[in-house]
Amino acid sequence: MGKVKIKRKSTLIDMTAMSDVTVLLLTFFMLTSTFLQKEPVTVMTPSSVSEIKVPTSNLAQVLVSPNGKVFISIAGESDPELAGEWGTEAIRAEILKKAVSEYNRLHPNKKVELTDADVASFAKLNMFGVPFQALPSFLRMSQTDQDKVITDMTRNDVGIPIDDNVDLEKPNEFQIWMRAIYSSGNDNLQAAMKKGEGIAVKADKGTPYSIVHHVLDNLQTLKMNRFSLMTALKTEND
Amino acid sequence: MAQIEQSDKGKKKKGAQKKIPIHVDFTPMVDMNMLLITFFMLCTTMIKSQTLQITLPTNEKVEQQDMNKAKESEAITMIVTTERDAKGEIKHDEDGKALNVVYYYEGKPNIEDADGDGRIDNSNLNKEVFLGNEGGVQRGIRKILHDRNKQVLAKIDVLKEQWRNREFSPNKDKNDSIYNVKAKEIRNDSTLTRPVVIIKAAPEASWETVIGALDEMQINQISRYQIDNINQVDSVMILDYIAKNRK
Repeated sequence: MGKVKIKRKSTLIDMTAMSDVTVLLLTFFMLTSTFLQKEPVTVMTPSSVSEIKVPTSNLAQVLVSPNGKVFISIAGESDPELAGEWGTEAIRAEILKKAVSEYNRLHPNKKVELTDADVASFAKLNMFGVPFQALPSFLRMSQTDQDKVITDMTRNDVGIPIDDNVDLEKPNEFQIWMRAIYSSGNDNLQAAMKKGEGIAVKADKGTPYSIVHHVLDNLQTLKMNRFSLMTALKTEND
Repeated sequence: MAQIEQSDKGKKKKGAQKKIPIHVDFTPMVDMNMLLITFFMLCTTMIKSQTLQITLPTNEKVEQQDMNKAKESEAITMIVTTERDAKGEIKHDEDGKALNVVYYYEGKPNIEDADGDGRIDNSNLNKEVFLGNEGGVQRGIRKILHDRNKQVLAKIDVLKEQWRNREFSPNKDKNDSIYNVKAKEIRNDSTLTRPVVIIKAAPEASWETVIGALDEMQINQISRYQIDNINQVDSVMILDYIAKNRK
């Protein structure tokens, strides 16, 4: 009988220690990692020894896909005191209004009309990249459909057009967007862009220079000569 | 069995109740934590992106005379490119590393063709690759740049040693900032012989090579460098080099 009792006891495992370990692991992951941002294409950034961290607030990130499509992601203030006025969603809505009105001024024949619901839907997008003409229909789609459209690199209506980089009187859509971001009204964002911290260009390792150069050239035309390039960390021995 | 237990409990009811430890089963808690960990592992990233800051010249046309031309003896031109196959896919070597190459020449390009056979006689173009340090020794293009910037690097090394020992200030941030100011002074010290690097990228060069070239500037503490567009002379020299060195 004594034997039987011992057997029964041995099936019970004390999970307290296990629970301790898992809570520790959980805490570690919660504190050290950041959430993945949804991006239309996954790019592997090249590595460099530079240790400057990419800022999390007041940043316009330009993503260049390997086939030359351009997407922009805007982050506003993270400081809770300023987040009400210039938080990420507020600044995105402001920039969208500015960019669309500028586009309508330049293209009086093909005006783009957006409702308040469209603007709200735009503010929630992490990364956008459709031509102005496709914007209203894109913003009225369901989120699943939006993801489907924006990740399809073969479509013609995906990616912000960056061709015709000749005349600042007739800026292309990418330049309209960048200018709208620059003149969003938030001085901190403008200062960050002037210093070069506010613009980050992200491109894949294998992307040919001619494609990235096209984007950099556009920025140069806009006199945004200082900017950051997104890289991963490496050591001198790699 | 159960009966015996029951009877046991019944007999020493008071004593047994006192002795029975309160036991909470943590299994569901562990289950839930595991689920949460899985969620965090899948939905978050540990990789923090770094940035490399660059300043490009304006696109406005500058008069030739206004341009501050680099002294010929100090100039070194790097042309980065990546070998690609007919489909445009990057070629890799046996180790799986992308075939990134750097052509470089010092001073002015030398494209004399005295005998008129259509081939450049003595091209000063050379070919190198990007390689990391091995055992603290520079290799590849890094060695060439390192040798050109020896004076600055020697001074920076002394400074780095002081920075490591926190000789400027025991406070870490203050130590860093004083080091950065002093290092910048040395990098921009015009009494030392410092190279001027002109980085050019071929259209097919991968983005990695361009970043790699900019990175070499940081590693070798070169303060004077610029990104330029590749021109005809450069492509002629590269084609000539490839033709001459074809096996």
